[in-house]
Amino acid sequence: MMEFFEANKDILLFTGAAAVKALAFLGAVMGFTALMTLAERKVSALMQDRVGPNRASVFGFAFNGLFQPIADAIKMILKEDFVPGRAEKLLFTLAPFFALVPVLALFAVIPFGDYVMVYGYQLELQIADLPLGLFFVLALSGLAIYGVFLGGWASKNNFALLGGLRGAAQMVSYEVVLGLTLVGLMMIYGSASLQDMVRAQGRLLFGFIPAWGVVCQPFAFILFLIASTAENKRTPFDLVEGESEIIGYFMEYSSMRFAAFMFAEFIEIVLISMLIATLFFGGWQVPYLYETGFMFPGGAELPLNHYLVSAMQVGSFTVKTVFFCWFSLIVRWTLPRFRFDQMMSLCWKALLPLALLNILLTGAAMTFLGKL
Amino acid sequence: MILNAAFYLFSGLAALATLLMIFQRDPVKAAMLMLAALLSTAGIYLVLSAQLLAALQIILYAGAIMTLFIVALTATPAAWRDKPGRGSFMKVLGLAAASVILMELLKVSTALKAITVSPEFSETGTLDLASALFGRFAFQFELLSLVILAAIVAAVALTAKRRTAQ
Repeated sequence: MMEFFEANKDILLFTGAAAVKALAFLGAVMGFTALMTLAERKVSALMQDRVGPNRASVFGFAFNGLFQPIADAIKMILKEDFVPGRAEKLLFTLAPFFALVPVLALFAVIPFGDYVMVYGYQLELQIADLPLGLFFVLALSGLAIYGVFLGGWASKNNFALLGGLRGAAQMVSYEVVLGLTLVGLMMIYGSASLQDMVRAQGRLLFGFIPAWGVVCQPFAFILFLIASTAENKRTPFDLVEGESEIIGYFMEYSSMRFAAFMFAEFIEIVLISMLIATLFFGGWQVPYLYETGFMFPGGAELPLNHYLVSAMQVGSFTVKTVFFCWFSLIVRWTLPRFRFDQMMSLCWKALLPLALLNILLTGAAMTFLGKL
Repeated sequence: MILNAAFYLFSGLAALATLLMIFQRDPVKAAMLMLAALLSTAGIYLVLSAQLLAALQIILYAGAIMTLFIVALTATPAAWRDKPGRGSFMKVLGLAAASVILMELLKVSTALKAITVSPEFSETGTLDLASALFGRFAFQFELLSLVILAAIVAAVALTAKRRTAQ
């Protein structure tokens, strides 16, 4: 037995570390997403001058609605699991998985910190450092379309089908813009690995400005923000659902099947916030904080413990993620919905040419100013 | 060992999904089976450590082309409805064409078996491919984009003509 462990030490350590990281990171994401469902309702209540959910309580303690996600989960589990008589049973069941699985798999490539030394073993704070991480992101987010479409089609309901068709057309259009905005970043950082990109953002421009993506590619950031909101099907791009008109692709879904669709949407908010933080706001980077401690541009230094530095970096990533999640909630309750033709012409006639122009300008700047 | 098993698993899945697709009469279900075949092919690329090819296979074929296909299927269902067989002549012609393709495939596969693949082959990534595409083969690459441009212009011209005819 011991010999087996000794012989396969490397692969066992690697697998164990990956499993622990996946469990810890996905657990944190799931818990945060449950709180996001509450935050969405609380933020909407605040913006509409209401109180929001505040009644779910344990032994009389309500904590202003903190237990609401648990109450929601219990309600969802206990609801009747209904499949329409004319529906395609197999595809109807598969659709929620198609919506949920690609989104969950994408967390594998998000770097949530640099590395920690544990018993002399260097633990990378990223589940899988793929050399082509950015392509992986685009590939899997393309697969998420099938969840929407299959949900709409397999229900055999005309309103659901309309929602599914709108969703497929919208997501495939904005996917193109999403991919093209990222090209500029790849040109600047010279890599498609997300961890490499975050490390490159630790450098300083002119000696004092952190080389974050938003500084190098401000234009791409705005385009990415718009395209990712559309990709996530949230207001102002929520024509897929359009609560007051067609309800959408999950019209015939109930119980946990519906919960899977809803949860996938909320996880996607977290994922997109993490991607924005990683690509444009330095990921886990804290300005002027390096492996050994702070090194300010003036020459002042503040050496810090390795574990403190790691904790600060993970904390910085968390703060950035929470900020963009909050921003996403605010946007939803601020802007009205587009009309479908407006949304399509925004994509193909405005965002797409601008994204191509951004690539051209980035290339020109890199040729004339030299590589960063 | 694991890689070999994965290779045969994905190949089997791809072949099975393609066969089921051919015998499936519902167009949307056939499209879903084709998606399964495309994803299995991406898996085969991944086993052969061609990561970029696998990612592009999913982005372009599974993500973009199949989605457009499916939208077309559901937007104009009548055009895709299964029609009854066209008579025995067409069937014989189809069988003949299939047997010719099968023979050619068998011929190629025996030649392929003779080639040994070096075990440490790995597609090193985007940089080599990019320098080949934009350096040595830049002219051919640009020529190819002209073909695509021509196709786009033709598609726009066709829809514009239909619109004025109405």
